[in-house]
Amino acid sequence: MEQTKELLVNMGPQHPSTHGVLRLMVKLDGETVTWCEPDVGYLHRCFEKLSEAKTYPQVIPFTDRCDYVGAILNEQVYVEAVEKLFGDAIVVPERAQYIRVLMAEFQRIASHLIGLGSAAMDLGAVTPFLYAWRDREKMYTLFERITGARMLYNYLRVGGLRNDLPEGIIGAETDGEDKAAETFWGFINYFDSYVVPQWDGLVTGNRIFQWRTMNVGRLSAVDAIAYGSSGPVLRGSGVKFDLRKNLPYSVYDRMEFDIPVGKEDGDCFDRWSVRMKEMEQSSRIVKQCLKWLAENPGEVMGKVPRVLKPPKGEVYHRIEGARGEIACYVISDGGPNPFKVKYRSPCFTHLQVMPLLCPGHKVADVIAILGSIDIVLGEVDR
Amino acid sequence: MDFLKEKFPQAQISNLVNGDTEILVDLKEYEEAVRACYDAGFTFGSVLSAIDWKERLTLVASLCRIDPAEVGCKTIHVKVDLPRAGAHVPSIAKLYPGVNFHERETYDMYGVRFDGHPNHRRILLPDNWQGGFPLLKDFVDKRPKRPRLVRHRIAE
Repeated sequence: MEQTKELLVNMGPQHPSTHGVLRLMVKLDGETVTWCEPDVGYLHRCFEKLSEAKTYPQVIPFTDRCDYVGAILNEQVYVEAVEKLFGDAIVVPERAQYIRVLMAEFQRIASHLIGLGSAAMDLGAVTPFLYAWRDREKMYTLFERITGARMLYNYLRVGGLRNDLPEGIIGAETDGEDKAAETFWGFINYFDSYVVPQWDGLVTGNRIFQWRTMNVGRLSAVDAIAYGSSGPVLRGSGVKFDLRKNLPYSVYDRMEFDIPVGKEDGDCFDRWSVRMKEMEQSSRIVKQCLKWLAENPGEVMGKVPRVLKPPKGEVYHRIEGARGEIACYVISDGGPNPFKVKYRSPCFTHLQVMPLLCPGHKVADVIAILGSIDIVLGEVDR
Repeated sequence: MDFLKEKFPQAQISNLVNGDTEILVDLKEYEEAVRACYDAGFTFGSVLSAIDWKERLTLVASLCRIDPAEVGCKTIHVKVDLPRAGAHVPSIAKLYPGVNFHERETYDMYGVRFDGHPNHRRILLPDNWQGGFPLLKDFVDKRPKRPRLVRHRIAE
């Protein structure tokens, strides 16, 4: 008599030159997944141990390298946490706050573009990935003009920013596509009028893409909260929770934007469309920042002591990153080095829903689910 | 947080710089305190970690509330003091499935064991790691070092 046997398959890119190093152990019954477990740690650099041996400003470059696709957001959480430790002793100038928000939202668009592009590419659509790369390249040219680096900026400082925006980078509201890589307004106008409709037509409205993602990987709202999901994964499940609105930090309380949400138990397509709509909202925030910044010149660095020695204390600061809630737990013992820096990475937490979502689906759907969670392995392993 | 004050009158409750509540409970009351937070709506396990104070460890469970209508909800940090070596803590991964990985990471980095954890294995370090617990303050890396290169001198 013939017998069938469950098959254990190791999935995932494991070579260091691929886009992240992750191993998914999957048990298969025919084509159907019966069990799944992620194995992480291939990129572990012990960021938390390293930062204990450095001074407060020296940790900022490490935070960039946690999530190298959304570097400004990681700097922001660490820098704001240290500023909170100082209490009233450090006042960040308003202009610096606006530039931080501008850069963070700009970074969010860039990060979502890559996330969406690689999710589509993993499903077999290579074209959107190249388009994402094309548009991100324009953004990185802008980033390079401001910070001097394309990916890992080391731009934010405790108390402000390293330097102001260079002259002429804001541009005029009428700037069009030809200035997309030269001015912020040029890119935002290009993005609104060209990039968003293109993605909607090419992928979101694509029937094959919808067949691959709809009804795949349903995550209920209760499970999403219990499993520690945040950001687009949580909102994709219909929970209207965004730390920018619900726990406002920086100058987000002055910004006007909506929170896009998905269905009650969201599938991969909901998470995808939440990200698409979030990019449009980010573009709205960027426009508000640009209008404010054009009218209000000023300092970008507050008064900060030469050697940063925050008073004894602990702080836990949460912000809305591109992939979810980034948080930083900083403890100071009064010395020049942080006593402890704990970094809460959203992707690390999100990987826990894989064993919940995958069983019962086909092998190919595992890729769709992983793409919809949008992980960056550098952040998972820190 | 009033419900914590009522339930745990002896526990030490204070505020962090940013307004978060922290409560230091005994090891016996740890599970109960987490349960009380869960019942009060703090169903989102943000992070779980430990602090090495050199003479003791402190386990910190940071719990948040996800309520779309609420603005400015603060986090509760449930803390419990532990010995530095051989610490055992009841696992809260059944209540907060999202804390599962964080508990494994805390075991990996500090050596705290979680009783009743569904999958108590190392997570970031290799499974066969023998070199101690890296985030303890007195950790020494005992792995063989590559010899340092010295400038070559011509023998005279």
